[in-house]
Amino acid sequence: MATSVSSRAGSDEQAVSAAPVSPTGPRARLRSSGPMLAFIGRRILSSAIVLLGATFIVYMLLAIALDPLEDLYTSSAPNKEQLIQQRIDALDLDTPAPLRYLSWLGGAAQCIPAAVGIGTCDLGTSWVTNQPVTAMLSTAIPSTLTLITMSTFTAIALGITVGIASALRQYTGFDYGVTFMSFVLYSLPSFWVAVLLKLWGAIGFNDFLADPRISPPAIAGLALLGGLIWQAIVGGAAQRRAVVFGVSALATAAMLFFISASGWLLDPSLGIVVITVLGVAIAFGVTAVAAGLRNRRALYSALTAVALGAALYYPLQYLFYYAASGPMMIGLGLVAIASGVLIGWLWGGPDRGQSMRAAAITALFVAALTFVDRLMGVWQVYSSSSRIAGRPIATIGSQTPGLSGDFWVETMDTYTHLILPTIALILISFASYTRYSRASLLEVMNQDYIRTARAKGLPERIVTVRHAFRNALIPLATIVPLDIANLFGGAIITERIFAWSGMGTLFLRGLNDKDADPVMGYFIVVGTALVVANILVDFIYAALDPRIRVNA
Amino acid sequence: MKIRRIGAAGAIVATGALVLSACSTPGGSEIVEDTSVSVGWNQSFYSQNNLTDTGNATANANIIYLTNAQFNYYDGELNIAKNEDFGTYEVTSEDPFTVEYTVNEGVTWSDGAPVDAYDVFLYWAAQNDRWDNVEPEYDEEFNIINQDEIDAGVYFSSSSPAANLISGMPEISNDGRTVTFVYDEPRSDWEVSIQPSPVAAHAIAGIALDVEDAEEAKQRVYDAFANDVTEDLSAIAKTWNTGFDFTSLPDDERMYLSSGAYVMTEFVEGQYLTVTARDDYEWGPKPKVEAITVRYNEDPLASATALQNGEVDLISPQASVDLVATLEGMDGVSYQGTAEGTYEHVDVVFNNGGPFDPATYGGDEETARLVRQAFLLSVPRDEILEKLILPIDPEAVLRDSHNLVPSAPNYDEVVSNNGSEFYSHDDEANRQKAIELLAEAGVETPIDVRFLYGEGNVRRENQFELISNSASQVGFNLVDEGDVAWGGRLAQPTTYDASLFGWQSTSTFALNGQANFITGGVNNFGGYSSESMDAFWDELSTNTDPERETELLIDIESELNEAGFSVPIFQHPGVMAWRDVLEGTSTIALSPTIFWNYWEWEISAEDSIETE
Repeated sequence: MATSVSSRAGSDEQAVSAAPVSPTGPRARLRSSGPMLAFIGRRILSSAIVLLGATFIVYMLLAIALDPLEDLYTSSAPNKEQLIQQRIDALDLDTPAPLRYLSWLGGAAQCIPAAVGIGTCDLGTSWVTNQPVTAMLSTAIPSTLTLITMSTFTAIALGITVGIASALRQYTGFDYGVTFMSFVLYSLPSFWVAVLLKLWGAIGFNDFLADPRISPPAIAGLALLGGLIWQAIVGGAAQRRAVVFGVSALATAAMLFFISASGWLLDPSLGIVVITVLGVAIAFGVTAVAAGLRNRRALYSALTAVALGAALYYPLQYLFYYAASGPMMIGLGLVAIASGVLIGWLWGGPDRGQSMRAAAITALFVAALTFVDRLMGVWQVYSSSSRIAGRPIATIGSQTPGLSGDFWVETMDTYTHLILPTIALILISFASYTRYSRASLLEVMNQDYIRTARAKGLPERIVTVRHAFRNALIPLATIVPLDIANLFGGAIITERIFAWSGMGTLFLRGLNDKDADPVMGYFIVVGTALVVANILVDFIYAALDPRIRVNA
Repeated sequence: MKIRRIGAAGAIVATGALVLSACSTPGGSEIVEDTSVSVGWNQSFYSQNNLTDTGNATANANIIYLTNAQFNYYDGELNIAKNEDFGTYEVTSEDPFTVEYTVNEGVTWSDGAPVDAYDVFLYWAAQNDRWDNVEPEYDEEFNIINQDEIDAGVYFSSSSPAANLISGMPEISNDGRTVTFVYDEPRSDWEVSIQPSPVAAHAIAGIALDVEDAEEAKQRVYDAFANDVTEDLSAIAKTWNTGFDFTSLPDDERMYLSSGAYVMTEFVEGQYLTVTARDDYEWGPKPKVEAITVRYNEDPLASATALQNGEVDLISPQASVDLVATLEGMDGVSYQGTAEGTYEHVDVVFNNGGPFDPATYGGDEETARLVRQAFLLSVPRDEILEKLILPIDPEAVLRDSHNLVPSAPNYDEVVSNNGSEFYSHDDEANRQKAIELLAEAGVETPIDVRFLYGEGNVRRENQFELISNSASQVGFNLVDEGDVAWGGRLAQPTTYDASLFGWQSTSTFALNGQANFITGGVNNFGGYSSESMDAFWDELSTNTDPERETELLIDIESELNEAGFSVPIFQHPGVMAWRDVLEGTSTIALSPTIFWNYWEWEISAEDSIETE
């Protein structure tokens, strides 16, 4: 579907159809809901048949490939024959596999009513550990989601941003650099990335922390690198580039020198001053993109949000100390957004929406900075505790055994375990998002309606953000839901190397132990997620692109 | 207007903030400290009852070894060491063979109830099959048809030959400390066949029958077995089979009661399990480490990195040359090669009409025997050891005994008398001897030998190459029968003539080998059959005198070497690595391997680095 649309998008007719053409009003909606329901029904039915066929094929493959008696063949147990017979009975191995599939299906079918609370779901039991597959899944899925959610969303955000930046700077050094890097990353095998990350990111960094001083040559090198990257991103005439290069290189050097000289890495913090300065910078940046700096009310809204954040810095420390929890942090984030919206609304003016948006985004960033600042406050006590012993970055597992502390310590512990696998996953998946978003933005930018918009005299910011950006995201809408569905499958290699006991581990261990039921459980979850995501993609597509009709 | 209002509000908030900040800001977070040793292992614990068919795994046995006291254990030289602080046992009569077990006064479970004879009794009763009165039955559509009977009936998913040899109901003394078992006939491995149960007798009755009082519960369990109370036994059996399976710390403390040095305190599914020392423990070697955490991780190289990063202190992952190279480059980490419980060997088939079957030579036993010996001589054992095993474990030696691990106490005595020098450690000399034997047999060469081994197992594939090269110099043409489903094919000896695989030992008693060598034994795939061999094993199985056992082993192995049935090659190599801050580590070839001397572990204070 994606290909058919993008090829059509190049033709002339679409410039006209950019405006919605669907008939509106309740009657029209009623009329169109009939075929729509039929379409949904058709899609669900066909998906169910696909899933059914796939489970049968996988079940048969497993029945042929896995021999649960293997470990007993070479057993020298005195009651070996009895053990073999017991296992044959327990696993019904005398029954032909297709019949066993039916009995498995009988149990799995109960999951459909169980989803709405009737009866219990029976996906079988692992014969190795005697644990029901549903119980295994219920611990594996959350664990996998913790690992993969952050990396997927970061990769999407980062990939799209970099992709767009590189499209806007097409055929510059930056664009070539990004293209080169994304192909390099795309081709990296994940087990190798993981090993390198452990070597440098964990062992190297932890060793470095014992005496965190950056040598002057290293500072100079990093400063030059920073300057090069920034001048490439900002671009422009040679003089402008030179200035950007100089300023950013100096700033990088100063920052690194400060970090090195003050031992900041052992006891990092931002403090109210840095948060305010960064907040003001963010306010300007966000306003520039979301509303344009000429919109003074939007700018002032954003700055007010920063001021409010700074004013609340100390009161929040009390809240963080006495009542910190995960849901509360999410709540505070929402409160920050709401207060941003309110500030924008209070500033009023003809285009309130822009002010509200700018203030809300800024407020969220400031809230995030405050959170990070508080989290940094726990770093020293965390890394010098006896369980961590000065080596905070972890290479295996999802938590430090025996470490108990408050919300901040536990959050820090989760992050030190998450950081390496997250980076490994981002490095690999970010490349494809960069390529997609770059290609799609370039295509949109070359279309006639963009030329029309420019001809009208619209500023380039509005052309890019309002006209081009949204349309450029349409192809990504097909990729993202499928990737999210893939989340449930876990990252098999990454999970194994980082000893993360999620879906990937469940799958691998099932195969290794010749244990078919957990593998089938894995397959059901991943298969269902993918099928549902496929249906969703169809609808998202239709919703985003008025040229597509699901009932056509 | 509005702007001013916001400004005012902002000012109020800012003032408020300043006022508040005048008081000192609240303190930072704090961390609760204690010290521990972290051990990496590749499989998660999943059952407190390692006597059931599903629960029988090293992952469970390791933890149970830390949390449950036993009458004896294997020491570093694989001698049986008695723990007389816990309890004593003695043979009170040779005919009928009678053993009396006494648990000392003051030994308690972690809930305070005493460990006593009832717990030892339960170990036996659950493994004796006489109370099992139902087995699942299936109809054509594989549904269990006798579910009601199973629910009402008794079926313990545990069985042991030794327990089945004690058919009479054991006597328990009046003080409940001593239990006496009478064997129908003696059994050589009696000494490791009875222990206290890994799950407490009062706990099983408490969970299955809802009996709160420990004394009453113990009695109820005994009575249920003694009087065959089906209703109680049915509930007890069900709890025994599955009631102690868990993958994270259960709410019910009775499911993980400890009778030993440590008690389980934390268990996070798929991540780690922590046991903490019991303050009141004094019936055995007292550990120096406060807590032991076992962390789960399947990837050997990842374990090595975790060791380097200080996340684990001791690992024993699956060994490979890569792993050893990685460990070698690490600072602050020591490692050593180890011998594991499995040994590799080559067997031949006697009864499939192939090159080793007398029937092929018109029933000429002697010709077939010479061909078998020549073939086994052509296995380049020294080359295999040198190329595949020594890079992992430089201390590894060739195994010359069919029944004993090289570290066993009586190994030297057996190998110097069992005729193993015939298969010497000099490959070239062996090949010359083999060529002579073939000439003596007067058979036509090359002889085709279908050779079965595990495909996909790199070490076995390499061994096949080496054996194939060497055998071709002697006059055998090896046909590659490498198969991923080699395990199932072992029992179909018509499809191969020789095989390469491993046998695993679980105790130092030779009895494990019985089924490999007696006529019609379950593990005797090659169809080897000899009356004198069967007689030796008959005697060995009921013999309880260690010296006589050694003599019998010498007889058995001399005959095996003479007949040319099988040649052992090497003990599977393992690797144990630890951070230098951890002292006192050691390992043995049998379960619980690296855990066997946990009480000698000591972690130095340098473990935590100074800050600032």
